[in-house]
Order: sequence, then structure tokens, then C-alpha cells
Amino acid sequence: METVEKKAYSKAGRSAKRRRPFWQTMKQQKYLYAMSVPFVLWVLVFNYLPLWGWTMAFQDFKPARSFWEQEWVGLEHFITLFQDERFYLVLRNTLAMSIMGLLIGFVVPIIFAIFLNEVRVQSFKRTVQTVSYLPHFVSWVVVAGIVTKMLSVDGGVVNELLMTTGLISEPVQFMTKGEWFWVIVTLSDLWKEMGWNSIIFLAAMAGIDPQLYEAAKVDGASRLRQIWHITLPGIRPTILVVLILSIGHLITIGFEKQFLLGNPTVVDYAEVLDLYALNYGIGLGRFSYGTAIGIFNSLVSIILLFLANGIFKRFANQSVM
Amino acid sequence: MKTKWKKTSAAFIMGTVLMMAGCQGDDSANTKEESTGPVTFSMFNADPHSQWDNMESPVSQIVKEKTEVTLEPEFDVAGGEQKIPLMIASGEYPDLIAPKGNAGKLVDAGALIDLTDLIEEHAPNLQKIYGDYFSRLKWSGEDESIYILPTAAVDHTYWAPGTGFMLQHDVVKQLGYPEIRTVKDFENAIREYKEKNPTIDGQPTIGLSLLADDWRIMISTTNPAFYATGAPDDGEFYIDPDTHEATMHYRRPAEKEYFKWLNHMNAEGLLDKESFVQKYDQYLAKISSGRTIGLIDTDWEVADAQRALRESGKAERMHGMYPVTLTEEYKHANFQDTGYLGGWGIGITVDCEDPIRAIKFLDYLASEEGQILQNWGIEGEHYTIEDGKRVISDEEMNERNNNANYVKETGIGVLKGFAPIYGDGVTDSTGQTYSIASPDQIKNAYTDVEKEVLANYDVEMWKDLYPQKEEFPVKPWGAAYNMPVEAGSDLELIMQKSMDIVKKRIPEAILADPAEFDAVWDEFMADLEKAGVEQAEADYTEMVKNRVELWK
Repeated sequence: METVEKKAYSKAGRSAKRRRPFWQTMKQQKYLYAMSVPFVLWVLVFNYLPLWGWTMAFQDFKPARSFWEQEWVGLEHFITLFQDERFYLVLRNTLAMSIMGLLIGFVVPIIFAIFLNEVRVQSFKRTVQTVSYLPHFVSWVVVAGIVTKMLSVDGGVVNELLMTTGLISEPVQFMTKGEWFWVIVTLSDLWKEMGWNSIIFLAAMAGIDPQLYEAAKVDGASRLRQIWHITLPGIRPTILVVLILSIGHLITIGFEKQFLLGNPTVVDYAEVLDLYALNYGIGLGRFSYGTAIGIFNSLVSIILLFLANGIFKRFANQSVM
Repeated sequence: MKTKWKKTSAAFIMGTVLMMAGCQGDDSANTKEESTGPVTFSMFNADPHSQWDNMESPVSQIVKEKTEVTLEPEFDVAGGEQKIPLMIASGEYPDLIAPKGNAGKLVDAGALIDLTDLIEEHAPNLQKIYGDYFSRLKWSGEDESIYILPTAAVDHTYWAPGTGFMLQHDVVKQLGYPEIRTVKDFENAIREYKEKNPTIDGQPTIGLSLLADDWRIMISTTNPAFYATGAPDDGEFYIDPDTHEATMHYRRPAEKEYFKWLNHMNAEGLLDKESFVQKYDQYLAKISSGRTIGLIDTDWEVADAQRALRESGKAERMHGMYPVTLTEEYKHANFQDTGYLGGWGIGITVDCEDPIRAIKFLDYLASEEGQILQNWGIEGEHYTIEDGKRVISDEEMNERNNNANYVKETGIGVLKGFAPIYGDGVTDSTGQTYSIASPDQIKNAYTDVEKEVLANYDVEMWKDLYPQKEEFPVKPWGAAYNMPVEAGSDLELIMQKSMDIVKKRIPEAILADPAEFDAVWDEFMADLEKAGVEQAEADYTEMVKNRVELWK
């Protein structure tokens, strides 16, 4: 947007330095403003208008009744929500899995991207990159099937392997161990998304000036030194932006993985917030309760986003807003 | 000034076009149907339909010609638990809906229309088919409208047991046809056979496999606890036949013993380790491979696997059904009569623009002509008339029994679940049964292995092994599981909570170390009490009593 603005200024043949009142700028750039109107309307209609539905959280909403006939109950649904033990359980699961996912699913793609970047043979690099991001396009239903089959006690690859190497004497029931469920989810997510998530870092690395490497080589820097002093600082802005955005999404991790990989024996570790909202909100026709959970989700997300943004702004001088 | 205005509007339009390019809307115009000529009805069915023919099979073509109605159904695999609430939230409904247990939510949302007058004016066949049970269609004591046309068979005679403990035919054959009456007999048969045959077709033999995939945990794991302790399945509550008091069925002391036995089976290594992990398709695949020797399930849940075994020529790996109970003091109540069950069925929604045509369509399916089409097929093609009797040739019968896609290819029975039907054994105007099922027909469908097994148990049919209908009183409340629970009520919430507890605690109890079983069970009971089970029982008792009153 900045470059476009600058062009608009120079086209008008005026100095861009002088600060002018807002309306004057606006008049100057009326075509640009006119072009953006549809997009602003779009956002208003589809992102802000639905917020009206939040009023449901403060009513005892019944379908097929008009807005004025609804009964208002204030914060009652929030009180029920915060008093439900199950809510804290699913909140713990959600946060545990998303934080594990963030740590592993963030660090590993960066390391992977650095390794790939160091590979000299272009054809090998391309092949590995393509092969590694293909799982991203496989549906979770299929992935869950593969994972369950692999970890099965009944001829699953993992158990067979551990048995033949003599590490265990009896097949381990991976899928019934609650405490392992988070690890299984995190690792299958890593397998599926690692290649895809590394693309953005590879792109950032491609943008680093080759002269920097040459200069470092002249100064006698080893490969590791080059990675530490040039590659990593070079992609630092990208890393921070991706990190801030993912922190904003910590609480909204969806429920596909957990729903498909879970089973009754690990439900205490597998149920996440979205699934809870579905089962105890909409699933029971408690629309208001579901909305209250939704509001909680959104508020936590916004707070997390601003918090992360603020911290990085202060300590790393980097922000998305 | 004028050119400027033009430029501004041009820029505005350009922006709009840019945006539109990204997302092209589909504005297929909503064609409004008139009450004559071909009509298409959208429909939502909470059950999956593996044999749906897109109304292109020969039988469905005839239905289409006669009624000029085409159905565009959507089949759900999750019992409508998510989709129906979403429909209510959006306020947009299909024309017809078969909501299974979710009818209550639709009624509360005002989504279903009252069918009483429509039936009276336009549907003589529907009136005829329900006959004396018409009062059982009423919604409740406060609201006597008819919202749902129950699709369960009317006046059905059951010739085959629907649920029981299942053993491969080869098991009883090899062991010399031992008596299979109590869980101990069942357990011993599995143990002995498994010891003798550690592998089947090169793969390890699986003793007893259970299924706990989502709601199916009720079918294969928890409902059999009712039957094993001599009670009929009433959903999640046991209804006392004398006082009509409801008890959440896990709280009966006898059932604790049943689950203790399952725990024992696990400790003995006879229970499939993957029982509570496997998904439905994995369960079916395992049975179809022929190495699961014991099952505790309903006929419909394992029907696909049985058919697969039959088709692959492994008749000795198919399962026979036995009326097993915990001890001999109990009687397996599979055949206890419920009277006609209202409840689950099909309704017409407020969004249906032509309810008269819709009710006429359902009426046609319920008519003699429609019923014969759905059961026998087309005259001259699927059956012939000899001496005034409908006869199905051996060749056709063979096709019926062995072709897994028979329903889809011919269309016979495709629309059966969409409208009320006459039960087995009910006769039409010519004195012949509406359905093709007759004891003889069932016996003819047995494989040679099955006949051999039955002969060795000195009976002709599987049904003969079970205590008969006449041995039990008729239940005046029908079946409690199909009583509509009010949406958003405390009862519904408590039931959801206890279901979550059950899904977690039952597998935990079964898989626990036998020494810890009692402790886990006590925790389970405490959890249920904490979730408010006592209040739910009181509410449920009241509902049962109201229903008994309404149906009198």
C-alpha cells in the first residue's frame, strides 16, 4: 500500500513530505478509496455483521423466535461454562496440544528448511521438498487410518519393529495410553505439515543476498557459522511474523485430528474445546451456550495475539500490527 | 466534474469485479414446483444408506412414474447429531426429514408440520396401515399433533433374533455342539477353540471383539448388558415392569456382574485388545477376514461382514446367534413384545412447498401396490404369479441372497425405510404376505453349515433357541429409547454427560486389572451421581408414566 501511495503523490507532482489533513489526502486518492470500498464492505458484511450473533450468548436463545421475543439471561451461560469441570479439562487438552504443536511444528520446519537450503544438488533438493510437502494434501481421515494401523497391537509396523529389535517383549497399546495421545497427535501433525510449513522459510532464505555468504567465506566462516550469522538472522522477520500469528491461533486448533485419532479410552486427553462446543453446545440445541464458548475463544485469541505482538515489539522490535 | 464521477464509479466497479473474480457465487434459481407434474423433494436421512440407487433402478423408476416424485436425499453417517442442530440454527430444512432420535429438537424449533389433517384428507393407505395404533403417533400429552410417521414395521412377526452372543459355526462344530446358554459356556467355547486353533488362515485368532466407536459403544458393549441380565433394551434406562420406575441401567447390581465378566475376559486374554480403539470399518474388516470367533452384537451391525464372509465362501466362519445370559436365572428378552413403536420415522418440514404431494408420495409407498413393489419387485421380472400366488424363482432367490448389491440394482426395498411398512407375516387383500419373509424363506436362505449347526441343536431356526414372545408380557410403554427428550432440558444435558462418562468408564473398567475393577466401578457410579443421574431418573420415570397414560 505504501508504494502505491507514494506513486499517487508523485503523479500528482507534489511533495510527499508535507503532512496534509486526512480529508485532503482522501480527496487526492479518491480512486484508491473507491476501489477499496467493496473490500471494506465485504469485511463488514461477512466478518463484522455476524458478530451480531454474539447477542445469543446473553439470551436463552430458542430457534424460530424473533430477536425481541428472546429471553435475556445476562452472563448465565458464561457462569455455567466456567463452573463446568469438563471445560477446564478440554481447555487443558487444547492448550497442551497446541503448545506442543507450536513448539515442535515450528522449530522442526525451520531446521528442515535450513538443511534443505544447504543442499547443493538442485534436483535432490527439489525432490525432497516436493515429497515432504505432499502429505499436507492428504486428508486427516486417511492420516488417522494410517497412524492407527501403524500403531496397532495387531501387526502394526511400530510394534513389529520394536519386537524384532527386542526393545519390548509384548506389543504396546499406543492408542489406549492417554498420556501418549498428545505426542501421537503432535507427531502425526508434524509428519503431515513439516514440508508445507518449511516452504515459507525456504522462500525467505532464497531472498538473502548471496554476497553476505561470499563475504563470510572470505572471512573464513564455516558452514555452521554461516547458518548462525547469516541464514538465521536473514529469516528472523519471517520467523517472528509466523510465530506471532500462530500464537494468535493457539486456542483454535480445530478438532479433526483429535476426533479421528481419539477413542473412548483416551477421551480425557483427546477432547478439545471445539469438540466440547459441538457436543455440549449445538449438539444439544444449546445455541447460547455454544456462542458463549465461541466468544471465549475469540477473546482469548485476540488477547494472545496482542500479547505476543506487544512482547515482540518491545524486545525484538518486530510486529505484525 | 462529470468525467470525475465516471472515473470514480469505474474504479468502484473495478473493485467489485476484482472481488467477484475471487468468489463466484452459485445463484441457481430456486425452481418452484406446482402440485401437478414432476416434483423433486429434498430429504435428509439420519441413517446411511449403502444401497441408494439415485432412483434409477427399475423399481424406483416405477415409483417415479406413478407418483411423479423424485427424491434427492442426503444420508448422514453421524445419526444427524450435528447436522440437524445446524439445520435448526440456519432455519433451512429439506422437504422431508427422517431425524431418528432428533425429532424433538425439530418439533421444538417448529420445523415439522402437523400431519393429522393431511393424512385424514389425502392418505387412506397410511390410515389403514397404522390402524388401531393411530393414537400412538401423537406427539405428547400436551401436543397431540402428528409430526412423525413412524417407519417401523407394523404388526411385525420376528422370525430371526436381532441381538445376541455370536459364535462362528466352526467353533460349535469343532467342540461338538456344547450348550451355549450362559456367559461361562460362551467363554469356555471361545477359550477351547482358541487354544486348539491359535491361528485362522495364518492370522492370530481373535476371541471376542467388541466395538466402542462413538454411539456404537451402546450397541455392542453396553446394551447387551440389558439382555444378559434378562431385561429388554430400553435405551439407557431400565424400566421396572411393575412400577415403571426408570433406573440408569448401569446402576443395576446385576449389570456390574456382567461388566465384571467382560473384565475377566480381558484378563484371560480372550478379549480383542483393540476392542475400544478400533473404528467401525476396522471392526467389519476384522470380522470379514474370518478370524474373529466371538461377537456380542446385533444382526444389523455385523450384516455387511456376514455377507462378505458368505460371498467369499467362508460359510463356517459366519456367526450363529445364541441367547446367552449371565446365569441361568435370566431369560434373554430379545423377543419381548413392545407393541407398535411410534417414535422414529419421517416428517414433513415447514420448508416443503407441496406437503400434499409429499404425503401422497408416502401414502403410495404404504399402499398395497407400493408395498409389493418394495418387497417383491416387478411382476414378470423379479417374481411371477402362479395359481394366484407370487413366486420367486430359485435363480432370483439365489441372486437376492448372495448379490451384495441386489437392492441397489433392482431397487427392491430401496425406499423401504422412508415410509411405514407392514411387518413380516401380515397379509394383503389376496391373503399373501406383504414381505417375502416367511419361516420357509428364512430357512431356505440358511447356508448348509447353518442347517447342520441348527440340526445338531435340535431346532429349525435360530429363533427357536430363544425364549419366545409369549413368555413375556407386552411392554405398555413400547420402547423407552424412542421417547422424545425435550431439547435443551436438564434431562438431555444429564444424559449427554452420563453418556460421556459411560464412554470413558466402561472401557476403563473392562480393561482394568481385575483387582481394581471394583474401585473403577465405584468411581463410575460416583461420577454418574455427580452428573445428576438421580434427577434424570426421576424425569424419565415421569415421561414413561405419561406415555403409558397417553397410549392406553
